Amino acid sequence: MTLSEEKLRGILAWVVIVLVGGPVAGAVLLGVLAGDSPCILCWAQRTSMVLIGLVGLFVIRYGPRPRYVGMVVLLGAWGTFMALRHSALHLARDIGQGFSGAFFGAHTYVWSWVIHFTVLAVIGALLLLLREVAPPEGARQPGRAGRFAMGLFVVVAAANALQAFASTGPPPFIGQGDPVRLSWNPRHWVWSFEELDPPSISLRGGWTVPKPDPGSADPDPAHGPLANLPALAVTAWERVAVPLDGPLSGFARDAATGRALAVTERFGVYLLDSTLSRVLHRVVIDPGFSVDLGPLTGAAFLGGDTLAVVGINKSWALLRPDPKADERAEWRHFLTTDGRMTELGLGRFATVRARQQYVRSLAFDSAAQELITVSVPSAKQRRLVVSRFARGDMVLASEFVPRFGTGLTLKPDRKLADYLVTGAAAADGRLYAVSAAYSTLLVVDLATGVLQAAYSVPGLQRPVGLAVRGTELLVAQADGRIAVLERPTP
Amino acid sequence: MGPDRADTYRAMEFLNFLLILWAGWLVWRRPERERFAFRLLIVSCLVMALLFLVGTHGSLIPGVNL
Repeated sequence: MTLSEEKLRGILAWVVIVLVGGPVAGAVLLGVLAGDSPCILCWAQRTSMVLIGLVGLFVIRYGPRPRYVGMVVLLGAWGTFMALRHSALHLARDIGQGFSGAFFGAHTYVWSWVIHFTVLAVIGALLLLLREVAPPEGARQPGRAGRFAMGLFVVVAAANALQAFASTGPPPFIGQGDPVRLSWNPRHWVWSFEELDPPSISLRGGWTVPKPDPGSADPDPAHGPLANLPALAVTAWERVAVPLDGPLSGFARDAATGRALAVTERFGVYLLDSTLSRVLHRVVIDPGFSVDLGPLTGAAFLGGDTLAVVGINKSWALLRPDPKADERAEWRHFLTTDGRMTELGLGRFATVRARQQYVRSLAFDSAAQELITVSVPSAKQRRLVVSRFARGDMVLASEFVPRFGTGLTLKPDRKLADYLVTGAAAADGRLYAVSAAYSTLLVVDLATGVLQAAYSVPGLQRPVGLAVRGTELLVAQADGRIAVLERPTP
Repeated sequence: MGPDRADTYRAMEFLNFLLILWAGWLVWRRPERERFAFRLLIVSCLVMALLFLVGTHGSLIPGVNL
């Protein structure tokens, strides 16, 4: 079956009638009858549909010239991109939530995707069927349906221009990101330039968040955001006395057994004895399957034999020493294993206030049975957030930005977010957090969310982990050395 | 109405629909002016794309993981 050019132009006239008379005219009617006003992105997608209709008129009038076909394919592809880009702002919201009203169960930006995709499919089908003969030159008579399509197009385009005048204004005003309902009363018209700010162009916009680098942080406590901090002296130095596959990046200690857990950014997980001189178990996690696990930056004992590690991207893994581990079953989890470790699960911590922030610490509050992370402030989210996750389901239980307690003074124009927490541990209702920036120990009351105290710790070099040992704190450094401090109890 | 004014003048939706209306009228009533009508179409496409990019604040990819 093939289509003559005349037949194709006749079909196309009806396609234009359906496109312009359906969604495009329907959008104007939605404005007139229901007050619906397009946002700036909706306007662009509606304009794209009108332009596709206009290209259809060109074909009806002059035949299917290659430049018309090229133009409509470009418009269909660009329109599909616009609709997906626009829908992506809202698709992940909770059930029933979206921007403005829904139409037949879907919002207009989703219908825009359906329409542009359908346009591409229809054009492809028509081109497949078009008979390959040299088209005559010059303008054609459009036929009855073609004339109707042209008249309808002019009417609908004029109606859109009228709505655009009321809704967005004359040049140089542009559409709004958050429009108000359509009104013919000029007192209610909002003409603005709000969408022109900010003008920066980038591929990912606000989602360009560089990974934090503790190595480049200023270690001098005197330069920190808190003034007049008491100093906490290092009382002794110990070290991890076994070779690791890379610099240490996280550290934890089990209060019950004295064993230690050390992790590296190369996904090495080491269970050590209490002297830190013997490896009890060692695995290298496969970070690619199936959760994307970022370089490991935190570790914790969850009670019993369960071990937890977290990546910089807040993805986590639970492991357990198991003398009867099935080596064949565990092959998929570990790049290297001693054959006596089982992976219990992988997942991702989902935060609210700490979104678009990385983490470099993990603690476990055994009393509350909650895992705790402290976010690394980013340029997009300039705040330090403590997030708590229920051990039972690993879902967010609570979150807070620490409030200042009495006796702590911020320097002018400084923030708590100037700290870069790289290690954390919980004990006796307190969260201890060590910052690689300004070598400072922060003490937070977990019940009230108050920053109770802060101490400078001179002499630290790139701390990466923190653990509690009775009345002492162990600050692990990237070079494997462990600074021993008296644990403050403010 | 019109609380702000930008230093840089830019085309916008109303103007774009006038361009489209003009092009559609030419195709319908003045078919011999195909070249001019097609140029109007191209200008209108570019204005539409520009306005969309302004609306996304220059971020081509939405706020999602890639």
